[in-house]
Amino acid sequence: MTAMTATTTTPQEKTAGKGNGALSAMKAKFERFNRIAFAALFALAALFPVMPGVEGWMASQASLVLIYIIAAQGVGLLVGYVGLVTVGHGGFLAIGAYTSALLTKHFGVDLSVGIVAGGAMAGLIGVGLGVIFLRLSGAFMAIGTLGFAFFIGTVVNNVPLFEGRTGINLPANHIFGVKIGDFGFYLVTLACLALTTLLIYCIVRSGVGRALMALRDAEKAAESSGVNRVFYRTLAFSISAAITGVAGALNGHVVNYVSSEVYADIWYSVDFLVACVVGGSAMLMGPFIGGAFIVMVPFFFERLADFAYILKGVVLIVVLLLAPAGVADLLARPIRMLRRRLFGGAEENASKG
Amino acid sequence: MNSHLRCENITVRFGGVVACDKVSMDVEEGKIIGLIGPNGAGKTTLFNVLSRFQEQDAGSVYFRDRAVDAKRAHEMIGLGVARTFQNINLFGEQTTLANILIGAHRLIGNPFANILWTPKARRNERELNRRAIEIAEMLHLENELDTLVKNLPYGYRKRVEMARALAANPEMVLLDEPVAGCNDEETAELKEIVRQVNRDLGITILLVEHDMSMVMSVCDYIYVINFGANLASGTPAEIQKHPDVIGAYLGEEYRA
Repeated sequence: MTAMTATTTTPQEKTAGKGNGALSAMKAKFERFNRIAFAALFALAALFPVMPGVEGWMASQASLVLIYIIAAQGVGLLVGYVGLVTVGHGGFLAIGAYTSALLTKHFGVDLSVGIVAGGAMAGLIGVGLGVIFLRLSGAFMAIGTLGFAFFIGTVVNNVPLFEGRTGINLPANHIFGVKIGDFGFYLVTLACLALTTLLIYCIVRSGVGRALMALRDAEKAAESSGVNRVFYRTLAFSISAAITGVAGALNGHVVNYVSSEVYADIWYSVDFLVACVVGGSAMLMGPFIGGAFIVMVPFFFERLADFAYILKGVVLIVVLLLAPAGVADLLARPIRMLRRRLFGGAEENASKG
Repeated sequence: MNSHLRCENITVRFGGVVACDKVSMDVEEGKIIGLIGPNGAGKTTLFNVLSRFQEQDAGSVYFRDRAVDAKRAHEMIGLGVARTFQNINLFGEQTTLANILIGAHRLIGNPFANILWTPKARRNERELNRRAIEIAEMLHLENELDTLVKNLPYGYRKRVEMARALAANPEMVLLDEPVAGCNDEETAELKEIVRQVNRDLGITILLVEHDMSMVMSVCDYIYVINFGANLASGTPAEIQKHPDVIGAYLGEEYRA
């Protein structure tokens, strides 16, 4: 957000007279444009399975990208809009994955139930943990969440219910009773992503989003305005956990297998944070860019796994230096400039890009 | 003579330093009450105790004669008590309108209905926007609604800070040095706004301020504290003649 200075207007540049009606009408027009752009993006993504030359494994890989985007959205809600750093969301991914996997294995529930249950369980545990973690500040909270990820890793490795490194094999996916393959699963994942995106959009634009960002930017003023810090931060933490939990449920079902070899790995947590920071955590588009980046880097450098890690690190540093608000912010700069040129109006806050 | 916000024998210690020593004061409903004193006299500490940002070691705060010591800072607005901050505490990366809307937080209703954008929440949001614009007009901020606060001149930001406090529909506003750092023109403007808020909206005001021209011209009653303790209280005319106040704070040029 520091990067916005260059594109904002000074009061002197403002148009004379009242003009608020006209300005807000233009803002509404832009808002509508944003919405249409997002809808178009999703419509295009929905056409992916019927595009020529697309095979099942590609749909699976694409699902993985979408899952990472969802997980990064969960982290981004916390990092970008609440201003808290978490290195433990891999724990919520695991909670979502195991909740859905165990329900599917032992009770044969539908994929839709598994996804909802995975999100709900992560959200519920998020409420409890939020109460603990939100007492900590800054680096201490980051370390606390890291501890949580380690704890979850140990649990899934050692408690027999979770079947450790042997893992849980899952049956083929059924959604609303209909058996689906790779393409079907891709569409289910896309639908989940559409819902989480809509949820975050709605939160950020609402009075709740205002309260969260106010706590982030000016805590005292927010509290004097009646914002209950504990309530709103816990709420955000829980929603953030639930979103990542949904990603976890999907992450298990996409390969029909859940094992501690995957979920005890705390690198997930770091990956999600990197995805947020690279993409831009306080922007709707940020997790899309960051999530795609994190999944596609190892994909393209499969034979050079170590190189993938180095590349991630280098990109992270470059982004932090050149575009601290993330790649999404970098891409939004020319759009903002154009908008200022066209309408002469001032900026909205960075979160709405 | 209705007491709106009152404190009795407030004592606050920071380690060995006694910031407030048995301070009592009474903010009468519908009035503009001043709180003055030299730097380090404990004004801001007392102010923070009244707005519940600071826990006192002894004494009690009463709102309409009921003790509110158990209230937390974010609950005071529920009683209709809003406050501003001396060092402007605004959301710089947000627009003036967004800052004013934050002040209206207590009027947003159910947070879950807000997230889901129910029809009721939509109506409410439109209403809040309309009111925020009204408040902006009252404080002459209507042309800066879409400007990021960090790009506003200092005097404007002071007014946005006040607008944020007013957006909560308060019955009382605690103003912490509203004109500190403002030039004469900005001070005159804010003086008029304070009067207008009190007179037209019937809002009780507690004013902490170093600018004596402002305090003496707008306040109905003034409390003076020094070294954390009550020194004097009275009407502006009485305070200007009070020998202790002149000795401790005002200086000889204020002797009427």
